[in-house]
Amino acid sequence: MNYNDLTRRYFESTANVGELKGPDVFRGAAGNRDQGTWVQFDLRIKAGAVSAASFLAFACPHTIAASAWLAERAVGRPVNSLLPVGVPELRDRFAVPIEKMGRLLIIEDAWLAATVAALDYRESAHISDRGE
Amino acid sequence: MPVYLDHAATTPVDVRVAASMAEVLRSETEYGNPASASHVYGDIAGALVESARRQVAAAVGADAAEVIWTSGATEANNLAIFGVAQYYRERGRHIVTSRTEHKAVLDPCRELERRGWQVSYLVPDKEGMLDPAQVGAALRPDTVLVSLMHVNNEIGVVQNIAAVGAICARHGGTWLHVDAAQSVGKCPIDFAGAGVDLMSLSAHKTYGPKGVGALLVAKRSESAGRGRVQLTALQFGGGQERGLRAGTLATHQVVGMGLAFELAATLSSVETARVARLQQRLWRGLAALGGVLRNGSAARSVPHVLNVSFEGVEGESLLAAIRPHLAVSTGSACTSALAEPSYVLRALGRSERLSESSLRFGLGRATTEDDIDTAVTILAREVERLRQVAGAATVK
Repeated sequence: MNYNDLTRRYFESTANVGELKGPDVFRGAAGNRDQGTWVQFDLRIKAGAVSAASFLAFACPHTIAASAWLAERAVGRPVNSLLPVGVPELRDRFAVPIEKMGRLLIIEDAWLAATVAALDYRESAHISDRGE
Repeated sequence: MPVYLDHAATTPVDVRVAASMAEVLRSETEYGNPASASHVYGDIAGALVESARRQVAAAVGADAAEVIWTSGATEANNLAIFGVAQYYRERGRHIVTSRTEHKAVLDPCRELERRGWQVSYLVPDKEGMLDPAQVGAALRPDTVLVSLMHVNNEIGVVQNIAAVGAICARHGGTWLHVDAAQSVGKCPIDFAGAGVDLMSLSAHKTYGPKGVGALLVAKRSESAGRGRVQLTALQFGGGQERGLRAGTLATHQVVGMGLAFELAATLSSVETARVARLQQRLWRGLAALGGVLRNGSAARSVPHVLNVSFEGVEGESLLAAIRPHLAVSTGSACTSALAEPSYVLRALGRSERLSESSLRFGLGRATTEDDIDTAVTILAREVERLRQVAGAATVK
């Protein structure tokens, strides 16, 4: 299997690995280790934006690299229910073979699970603030 | 270049072997067709071929007349399996083999199934060993061939071929073919004494050249009580090799194989003991990482092969992480972007994930303690890193 430079760089020098702790951290995971691919994102949200992000991945180099890149790119972005870049762009940036597209969807699902958790929390907090 | 620990895939050509081959290629007298009996050039080439035949035979306890040159073990396996199946098709169309054979045996068997033969695939125990009694239980009146490997190419276990040979000998009409491509120089082979009828050999697994091998065809006399196996040839065009393998012999190739086998026989005992020490060093280093499982029986394996699975590590990432530093085989076959887990490890009961996260280390003549220590250092670093990335932390 050949990997492009970006994939190799983010796979070999993986940053933002691990788990974040705290009440302002929201977690999302998708996939299954027994099925060969599992990804988890932790997002720390402050003032509606991502202030820190980390990930864990039991996965192939493409998936690890793309997850690491997303965690790096997420910081400073407003939290919303979208990936910082779409799956097609991830595929192109990391030259992911078509057979592995399902793994990018697992990344997307993990990311969305984390952001949805954050948005749900913000929504419920907002409702609570209004005494509803 | 990465440290080469894939000697079970192929070995570098021994410099003495390369020199002998080059001498044949450069010679002004050794380029004749070995089958040309009408002039001295053919005589000289023919003598070289026969000398190599004796060298190969001597290394495996066979008679020189039992050696049929082929292009390698794959061709030898095909000749043995299709050759027996075709010749004895009126007597029976049942073959016994195992699930952990090399593809060069399994694929011919699959092809015969497509043509109407029946094949029984024996399942080894979780250490990769077959009980010879399994063979006996699988034999039927219409069984014409048992095909089993001697040393498994993925996990290194050594099957009890002599016991299987005795069972086949008692079961009239069933011939025993043994794929011994991995055996020469790694463990003793006694072709004549093991009751084997057909044996496949390869040069390039034994520091010889690629592109040459042999099929041993036992010349047992009828008085030995077992008769002599017959084969239907698969290729025609000159009657070479007793009509079993037509085609002009590549003199330099067979000369290389002959010397490679002679050297293997000479070096075997010393070299095997040295490699065993290296394998123990490697296993101790890897086991210390924790969560490392050995595949195949440690007690019944050649020391040249060590196959292990790493818990908590994804297979493709493991290979990608070590690839710049170590040349080893993975437990999956990368036939596409998605790897397929090793069918051998799956047959031993390993999960798909553990099969994918396995590595086969093939130790050889050039392997040093430094190579082993480098491998352990690299694997310790990368396995720990990938376990952290996977959130598996330490598996100890």
